[in-house]
Amino acid sequence: MSIFNKNFIAAGMAGVFVAGMAASAMSADIRVGITMRMISENGQRYGQMVMDEIDMINESGGINGNMLKATLMNDECKSDKGVANAIKLINQQKVHILIGSTCSSVSLPIVDITEKAGVPQIIPHSTNDKITKKGSAWVFRVPVSGRYYAGVNAKYVGENIGKKIAYLCAADAASQNDCDAMQSQMKSQHGADPAYVAQVQEKEVDFRTHMQKIKSAGVDGIMIAALAETMARALTQSYEAGIPASVRRIGSSSASNSPVPSIAGDAAKGVFFAAAYAAADSRPIARLFNEMVKKRYGVNSPDHDFSQAYDLVRITEIALKNADLKLDDENLAADRTAIRDAIANVKDYNGLASGPISFCAAATPQCRDGNRTAVLIAYTKGGKDYKTEVLARVTMPIDFGL
Amino acid sequence: MDFDFSSLFAFLLFGVTIGVVYGIVALGISLIYSGLDIVHFAHGEIYMFGAFFGLVFSHTMGFPYPVALLLAMVCAAVLGMGIERVFYRRLTKGGGGYTVAGMGMIICGFGMSIVLMNIAFLIWGAAAEPFPVDLGMPFQLGDITLPKSYALTAVVAVLLMAALHYFLKKTKLGLAVRAVAANKDIAYLMGINVPMMISLIFGLACGIAAAAGVLIGPMQSVQVEMGYLMLLKAFAAAVVGGFGSLPGAIAGGIVVGIAENLGAAYISPNHKDIYAFLLLILVLMIKPSGLFGIVARVKA
Repeated sequence: MSIFNKNFIAAGMAGVFVAGMAASAMSADIRVGITMRMISENGQRYGQMVMDEIDMINESGGINGNMLKATLMNDECKSDKGVANAIKLINQQKVHILIGSTCSSVSLPIVDITEKAGVPQIIPHSTNDKITKKGSAWVFRVPVSGRYYAGVNAKYVGENIGKKIAYLCAADAASQNDCDAMQSQMKSQHGADPAYVAQVQEKEVDFRTHMQKIKSAGVDGIMIAALAETMARALTQSYEAGIPASVRRIGSSSASNSPVPSIAGDAAKGVFFAAAYAAADSRPIARLFNEMVKKRYGVNSPDHDFSQAYDLVRITEIALKNADLKLDDENLAADRTAIRDAIANVKDYNGLASGPISFCAAATPQCRDGNRTAVLIAYTKGGKDYKTEVLARVTMPIDFGL
Repeated sequence: MDFDFSSLFAFLLFGVTIGVVYGIVALGISLIYSGLDIVHFAHGEIYMFGAFFGLVFSHTMGFPYPVALLLAMVCAAVLGMGIERVFYRRLTKGGGGYTVAGMGMIICGFGMSIVLMNIAFLIWGAAAEPFPVDLGMPFQLGDITLPKSYALTAVVAVLLMAALHYFLKKTKLGLAVRAVAANKDIAYLMGINVPMMISLIFGLACGIAAAAGVLIGPMQSVQVEMGYLMLLKAFAAAVVGGFGSLPGAIAGGIVVGIAENLGAAYISPNHKDIYAFLLLILVLMIKPSGLFGIVARVKA
């Protein structure tokens, strides 16, 4: 064999070695699966924000030298698609952590899948109490739980508005939960039964019969628990039915979504709701965040779904940095457990949320509903250039609503 | 809630005003069915396109609302004729009803519905768009407040019905359309341009659907997914009124609107859509040909 051939073989072996090393380096990515509702423009922006923040982590060197490899999937707020996404992300993509979903009705069945597979699931937007009440050791919630929102709303309504409240509740899981929790809190805090309750379809177009009955009932306030577009329609029709502005309109958690004031216009003025973040927040971090969202996504007053998406990535980043990860196929289960334990060790994270977020190890709502601070916000102006004001900020006791 | 006649009147009024919108969409569905023996499942999306056309003409281009309404009807009519010419023609030539082509047409309609929805999504995005139109202060009828947009919808529905009736019964072109609806082969032998008449039927039906979309815009908002529920309600209206009957479509719409409002008011307020479909089932059980009694048949 000539020297030339020996060198050629050596070079070839070196090439194979380098390629192998490169492949090994590629497998050292931290795989992040994301399933979110991206059927509205804001829904797409929330998903994009998570991806953009992950890209920025990678641009600044990744997590302890490892890159994040994110896969974003759209579940369209449909349980079956969310479940299919979760199964695909867990079993085919072999993700280390799953982020999702936006909708409670999607997050709820995914909890069972992540628990069975042993994959940490961190929730960006879903508020339904039942998510953490399932007792999964693998689930963590960044947003404020519906049980806290209801407590804050009921306290404010009973003390400042009145006890005769009508409820219009859409059929989606989050709205149902918000509605039930509010009724329960009005009963337990003020002994008040609902003056009128109606369940409406998510795409309901005509609320005038309900509004006429509510008008006849002479209520102090109307709680409209529905997704943004439906809520906006109901608000508009409440004024068309001649219900005066003195009857206060109370929104569920989705009232913070910008389509509500954009579509409802003047009918949004005076509507108040509990949320996790107020764009009117004067903290420097909030000012900077508002500017960033406006520059990146063209949204003037970001709602709490933007802030929660941002906070979620920061919490995930902290946990991943603290987790001892091997990042090879043999240690996938151990890495997932390490990430779960690292999220459970996140204490007093101070980000955009109106209060600190802390998790702990027990598989209970007390440990996994990390954010207990709700802020009461009211719209002072409707339309696309809507404005808000903060009415109150309340941190609820850890056991509240259990 | 205690019974009082003022509230009953309000519920009836709400039923009539939303019912005419169902009726207008049902009118287009019935027109296509009476002409071609086919059920057009993409009609809800034509209604949605009409609403967006109206929004663009009214808000983006600044046309007055009535002009925007007419322009939207024309655009939707052209769109409908285009869809018929390019995609449906081969199937409509094969016949409707219980033929293979008729079944193919139903599936094609479903496909077209999804295609149109995705095209609208690409053009206008998924966000709901407000469609405010200043028609002045609402009417105050005792304790009942009725926005003028609802009254306008009822007036336009009656005008559309009258215009369609006049067109079909009093004009030569209408006679040709009716001839095609009765028997395509004989109409062809009599020198009628059958494909053009079929296109015309589609155009008219789509224009009418667009009118409903533009009329409902100010009452709600305009969004890509708005056609689905409206299509179901319009089908209920068309069946209740008698599939293929034009006056029956409007009457069916009003009956459906009243049924769901009275059901929500006096039986249970939850899920008021149920009442529309309960009525549909009831009519199919008792009088399958609908209130206006068109006898179901397969045309030649």
